[in-house]
Amino acid sequence: MEEKKSLSQFKKGDKVRVLSVNCGRTLSRRLSDLGLFEETEIEIIKNDDFGPIIVKILNSKIALGRGEAIKIYGEKI
Amino acid sequence: MEKKYNIKVGLTGNPNVGKSTLFNALTKSKQHVGNWPGKTVEKKDGYASYKDKKIHFVDLPGSYSLTAFTEEETVTTSFILDEKPDVVVQIIDAENLERNLFMTIQLIELQAPLILAVNMLDLAKKGGIEMNIKELSILLNVPIVVVNARHEKGINELMEAIIKKSTNKHRSKVKLTYGTEVNDELKKIKEFIKKNDKRINDNELNWMVIKLLEGDIRIEQKLTKKPYCIELKSLVEKSISHLETIFSRDIHNILAETRYGFIKGLSTQIVKNNKKSKNNDISCKADCLLTNKFLGVPIFLIVVWIMFQATFVLSGPLIVWIENLFEFIGNHISIFLESIQTPSWINSLIVDGVIGGVGGVLAFVPIIGILFLVISILEDSGYMARVAYVMDKLMHRIGLHGKAFIPLILGFGCNVPGIMATRTLETKKDRLLTILINPFMSCGARLPVYALFAGAFFSAHQGLVIFSLYLLGVFIAVIMGLIFKKLFSHGLSSPFVIELPPYRWPSITGLLIHVWERVWLFIKKAGTIILAFSIIIWALASFPVGVDYGTQASYAGQIGETISPVFEPLGFGNWQSSVALMFGFAAKEVIVSTFGTIYNVGDGISFNTALQNNFTPLSAYSFMVFTLLYIPCIAVIAVVKRETNSWKWPLFMIFYTTTIAWILAFIVYQGGLILGFQ
Repeated sequence: MEEKKSLSQFKKGDKVRVLSVNCGRTLSRRLSDLGLFEETEIEIIKNDDFGPIIVKILNSKIALGRGEAIKIYGEKI
Repeated sequence: MEKKYNIKVGLTGNPNVGKSTLFNALTKSKQHVGNWPGKTVEKKDGYASYKDKKIHFVDLPGSYSLTAFTEEETVTTSFILDEKPDVVVQIIDAENLERNLFMTIQLIELQAPLILAVNMLDLAKKGGIEMNIKELSILLNVPIVVVNARHEKGINELMEAIIKKSTNKHRSKVKLTYGTEVNDELKKIKEFIKKNDKRINDNELNWMVIKLLEGDIRIEQKLTKKPYCIELKSLVEKSISHLETIFSRDIHNILAETRYGFIKGLSTQIVKNNKKSKNNDISCKADCLLTNKFLGVPIFLIVVWIMFQATFVLSGPLIVWIENLFEFIGNHISIFLESIQTPSWINSLIVDGVIGGVGGVLAFVPIIGILFLVISILEDSGYMARVAYVMDKLMHRIGLHGKAFIPLILGFGCNVPGIMATRTLETKKDRLLTILINPFMSCGARLPVYALFAGAFFSAHQGLVIFSLYLLGVFIAVIMGLIFKKLFSHGLSSPFVIELPPYRWPSITGLLIHVWERVWLFIKKAGTIILAFSIIIWALASFPVGVDYGTQASYAGQIGETISPVFEPLGFGNWQSSVALMFGFAAKEVIVSTFGTIYNVGDGISFNTALQNNFTPLSAYSFMVFTLLYIPCIAVIAVVKRETNSWKWPLFMIFYTTTIAWILAFIVYQGGLILGFQ
């Protein structure tokens, strides 16, 4: 069983199942409009260890601020 | 023949689906396509005739969902509910079917007279995605037309569908079931409203109740007027907290999950042969380089540098050509007017005032055109969203995130669209901060002033001198950003979420339409505001009767003399500068036209020589610094007033920018003197 980590800790190419989205109501709503919520699968496209990370949600690339990515948890699949 | 009538059509869809391209193809109208999210910030109108029908198209802002959390997002829903369009066309990016359908579901729930226009099907095919459009149309119970907005294919078919739909009262019968728990709560609220409000129809009610659960601000605003509002609110809150405890998650997520669940079911039925395309396409390769953690920022700086070099190198010869043309016209009109013995004052008005002033400004049309061309390429290609990504970390230092960088870049073209683009920012503080520092982004109207002075004093290093001014503007913006961040105690900025669209070649027509639009605005400005001010300045320079034109004894001279002591320590205490700066408030190009009028271009001594007699290179530089930083033009003040909805901020802006301009120009001039420059 893979451990639960925040999105900012995954590496490029990791496929992640989202477990919890703990970032404020507004953002979590916006993300769910884009297709990111609990139980969805996303892919980490880019994570430079600083600045925003880029994730693939459904079929589009979304840049996500690091401060936001830290509050989203998931497990590698 | 059938009676002609207007069909009103709303165009909606996610950002980056080719909505504006389709709008252009449908209406041949002048409107700009942007390849970064949130480009169309206001709705735009366009008209088309098809067969015997006249169709009115409204291009709505791109959005991912119909639930409104910010004022801006209410535009689409309000349009559909209040203006009751005959048809709503949602443009769908076939490459991104599932996310696009999320909005489709909401449009169906809203009972909009919907048509889907599926775009970029060819690109999806290339990526290995095949879909059964017919089946999708049946399953959604909505007419679907396949279009190719870029190549203007399927336009006639879409027009036919629109006309058919406009008289058809049929609405999609698809209904989502949100599960027993949610449905129970929806029913409870529905019954409550029905009991208290007999006039509400069922369709509207269904939609309203879902939106109430989602916390849509538009519905809440609408209901505050009703007498049962407080009771309803507490009922809704109870329902929400009940559902959130059962599912132990946010209500919005519960609904989104159901919708996406439904969509997933749809797409497994209609999308075939879903080969996973490998991620090493051109877009990904380009991204590796352009968003590289070390190279991203340097590459961006190089791009900006190339942008300015291209602007000057390409426009240089054209400017000389236009200048010569106006000199030629001026000379010939002057000779002609003398030959028919018109009074010399009319001769002077036309040649000195109008041709000198307006011509001096029109000479810079090529610069404006090329600058906007380059900015449009950056926007339409998709690079702008990457710039936001790359700059995010740096922007955090001044309390903003990467998305706030785009309005600043747009400010290089014109501060007015720059300030309007701040609407894509979510919090008020973010917006205000970005608005306040936007005028330091040197706009296209200031460019003629630099081009004029740099040409006269620094001809060998023109590009470098002008680039230094742009950098200074950015530097001041950053410093002021830091100061405002402290003053507003601006800690947390709104979350940074931005879509990075695939790179696309900008369409030539789209680019040309946009450049022409900007150039035409500039020419119109030259023909109106600048013409008017040229005449005023000519009059001030000619009267009182009897004075020699453009001398100190004229009214212009007297006004200038009164103000000029303020500018004395900055190195440009001559009265001409004071007059030019004073009128530059109307539009910064007026500074050029004022010098043109006063120095009487095309009459013996050249413009450059006249400037060289009145400025030293150091005072010229100081003058450019002041022009860069002082009061933004009247159009900017007006838009700041509109966007902040108060007079406080525009007045503050006038005061603080001018103070900074004075201090900086003082430092440049006095510092330069101490260092021994001239």
